[in-house]
Amino acid sequence: MDMTKDRWSGTILVLLGIFVVWERRVLPLGTHSQPGPGYFPLLLALLLIIFGGILIFQGRSSRSIRSISWKESPHAVAILGCCVFATLFLERIGYRITMIALLGFLFGILERMRLWLVLSLTLGLALGTFWVFDTLLKVPLPRGKWGF
Amino acid sequence: MEETISNLILGFSTAFTPTNLFYALAGCLIGTMVGVLPGVGPLAGISILLPTTFGLNATSAIILLAGIYYGAMYGGSTTSILMRIPGEAASVITCMDGYAMAQKGRAGPALAIAAIGSYIAGTLSVLGLMFLAPPLARFALGFGPPEYFSLLLCGLIVLSYMTGGSIVKNLAMIVLGLLFGMIGIDQMTGYFRFAYGLVELGDGIGIVPVAVGLFGISEILATAGQSEKREVLKPKLRDLLPSKEEFRASLFPIGRGTLLGFLIGIIPGSAHIISTFVSYAIERKLSKHPERFGHGAIEGVAGPESANNAASEGALVPMLALGVPTGPIPAVLLAALMVHGINPGPLFIKEQPAIFWGLIASMYLGNLVLLLLNLPLVGLFVNFLRVPYRILYPTILMFCIVGVYAVNSSVVDVGIMTIMGVIGYLLRKMDFETAPIVLGVVLAPILEFSFRQALAMSSGDYRVFIERPISLAFLMLALTMILLALRSLIGKKKDWRDRLTEAERKI
Repeated sequence: MDMTKDRWSGTILVLLGIFVVWERRVLPLGTHSQPGPGYFPLLLALLLIIFGGILIFQGRSSRSIRSISWKESPHAVAILGCCVFATLFLERIGYRITMIALLGFLFGILERMRLWLVLSLTLGLALGTFWVFDTLLKVPLPRGKWGF
Repeated sequence: MEETISNLILGFSTAFTPTNLFYALAGCLIGTMVGVLPGVGPLAGISILLPTTFGLNATSAIILLAGIYYGAMYGGSTTSILMRIPGEAASVITCMDGYAMAQKGRAGPALAIAAIGSYIAGTLSVLGLMFLAPPLARFALGFGPPEYFSLLLCGLIVLSYMTGGSIVKNLAMIVLGLLFGMIGIDQMTGYFRFAYGLVELGDGIGIVPVAVGLFGISEILATAGQSEKREVLKPKLRDLLPSKEEFRASLFPIGRGTLLGFLIGIIPGSAHIISTFVSYAIERKLSKHPERFGHGAIEGVAGPESANNAASEGALVPMLALGVPTGPIPAVLLAALMVHGINPGPLFIKEQPAIFWGLIASMYLGNLVLLLLNLPLVGLFVNFLRVPYRILYPTILMFCIVGVYAVNSSVVDVGIMTIMGVIGYLLRKMDFETAPIVLGVVLAPILEFSFRQALAMSSGDYRVFIERPISLAFLMLALTMILLALRSLIGKKKDWRDRLTEAERKI
C-alpha cells in the first residue's frame, strides 16, 4: 500500500483515538441520563477513529508522503530546541539569562551575525522586554535563584 | 431607536476618555504593525499581546485588543500591495491587483483605496453590529442546553465546511481541539482528566498557548532559514491620492464588499478569506472590462479590502450576542474578555452596557484612526518590512515565549506552546487546517456542559435535540452542510471550496 499523506495522518488519528479510549478507562462513563466525565471524551475518541478511518480509506489519491519537503528542518529543530530550553530553564535561571542565551544562540550561532550586532540585539531585546513587561506593565517575569 | 442612541451616547462617553482614546490609538498602531510583519498574524499577535492588558480595566483592555484586531486586518493589505506578500490570509486576493497597480507606479492610490474602503466598510459594519447584536442576544435568552449544544455543533460543522479543503480533515481537527479541551478538571464532577499528575493542567489547556503554538511557533518553524530577497516598493506621500476615475470606479465595489463581508462575517468559518474571494469574483463578473483584473484593476482592491474589514466586524456579532465565536480570532477575543471577568453571551449587553457600547464607540474611533494615521505612516511601516527575517524570527519567538508565560506565570504553558508548535508544523505538512483546533479548545467545555445538561433534563433521551424547534433548525443546517460537502466528496467534482483552496495556493 502506497503511503500517502492522508493515509499517514489517518493512521495517526486512529492510533490517537485508540489511545484516548484506553486512557479514558479510568474515568466513569455514567449513564445516558447522568453522563460521567468519561462519556464525552469516549464519543470524541470514537469520532476521531471514524474520521481517521475515512482518511485511510479514501487517502489513495492524496500526495505521497515522500513529496513533503523538509529543507527548513535543521533550522526548525534548533528553534524547537530553544523552546524546550526556555520551558526547562525560564524559572530556574530567570527570564533575562534565558533570553540572553536563547537569542545569543539564534543570532550568533544559527544566523552567524556579526558579534556587535549579536550583542546589541541580544542584550537590547532581553533586557528591553523585561523592562517593558515586568517594570512598566507590572507583569511578573521569573528572576531565577540569583534574583536576576 | 431612541434606546440605541442613548446607549451609543453612553458608549462614546466611555470610549472618549483620554485613556481609552490612547488605547484605541495604540491598538490600531500595534495591530497594523502585527498585520504588516510576516510571521505574526492577527491571531498570534492578539494572543501574545494579551498579557499587556492585564493591568488595564476591562473596557480599556477590550478597546486595545479590538484595535489590534482591526489594525492587523488592515495592515495585511500593505504588504500585499507593496511586496506581493499577504501579511495575513485575508489579504491574499489583494496581491493580484494591488501589486500590479504598484508595479505601474500606482501603489499610493491602491493603499489609499484599501484604507478608505476599509474605513467605510468598518464604520458601516459597526452600524450593523450595533443594530443586530442586541435583538439577537434577546432572542438567545430563550435558549436552553439543547439549543446551545445544537448551536455550537452547527457552528463547528459550518466552520469545517466553510474553512475549505477536506471536510473530513476539518472535522477531525475540530474533534482533536475538543479532545484537547477535555484536559483538566471536569466541571460537573471534579474528576481530573488526562492531566497525568500536572496540577497546572487543572484549569485545562489555555487558548493562548494553543493559538500561539499553532499559528506563531509553527509559522516560525516552517519559514525559518528562508531566503531573504524581498523587493519593497515605497510610495511617496504626494502620490497617495487616487484620481477621480479611480474613486468613481471604487465606490460601488466598496458598497458591495461591505454588505457581502458583513453577512459572510457572521457565518462561522474563514469568513475574511471567503468574503474577499467572493467580492473579487463578483466585481470581476460585474465589470465591463474583466480582462483588466489581475493587471491592476482598482475594483479588485476596493471590493476585497472592504469585504475583509466588514467581515472582521461581522464576526463579532455572534461572539458578543451569543458568546459563540465563529473563528479562531473571535475565540481568542472571547478568552481575553473572560480573563477580564466578562462573559459574552445573551446577558452581556444587558448587564454590562458600558463595555459593549464603549467597544462599539471605540470601533468608530478606531476606523477613523486607521484612516488618518496609516496612510501618512505608510513609509514607517514599509521600513518594518526591510528588517531581515533572520532578525525578525528570533524576536517573534521571544515575544511568543514572554506572551504565553505571562498569562498564567507558568512554564507549563510555554511547554504546551512548544508542543502545539510541533503539532501545527506537522499538520501543515500534512495539509490540515489548524484553525478548527483553536475553536474546538475554546468551545469544548461549553459544548460538553450543555450536552450533559440536555441529556440530564431529558432523562437520557437523545430526542430532546430534535423535539425542540430551534435545536432542530440548527441540526438541520449542520446536516445540510455535511450533505453539501459529501456531494463533492462522492461525486469527485470540484466545488467552490476546492477552487478557493487552489486559488490561494496559486498566489
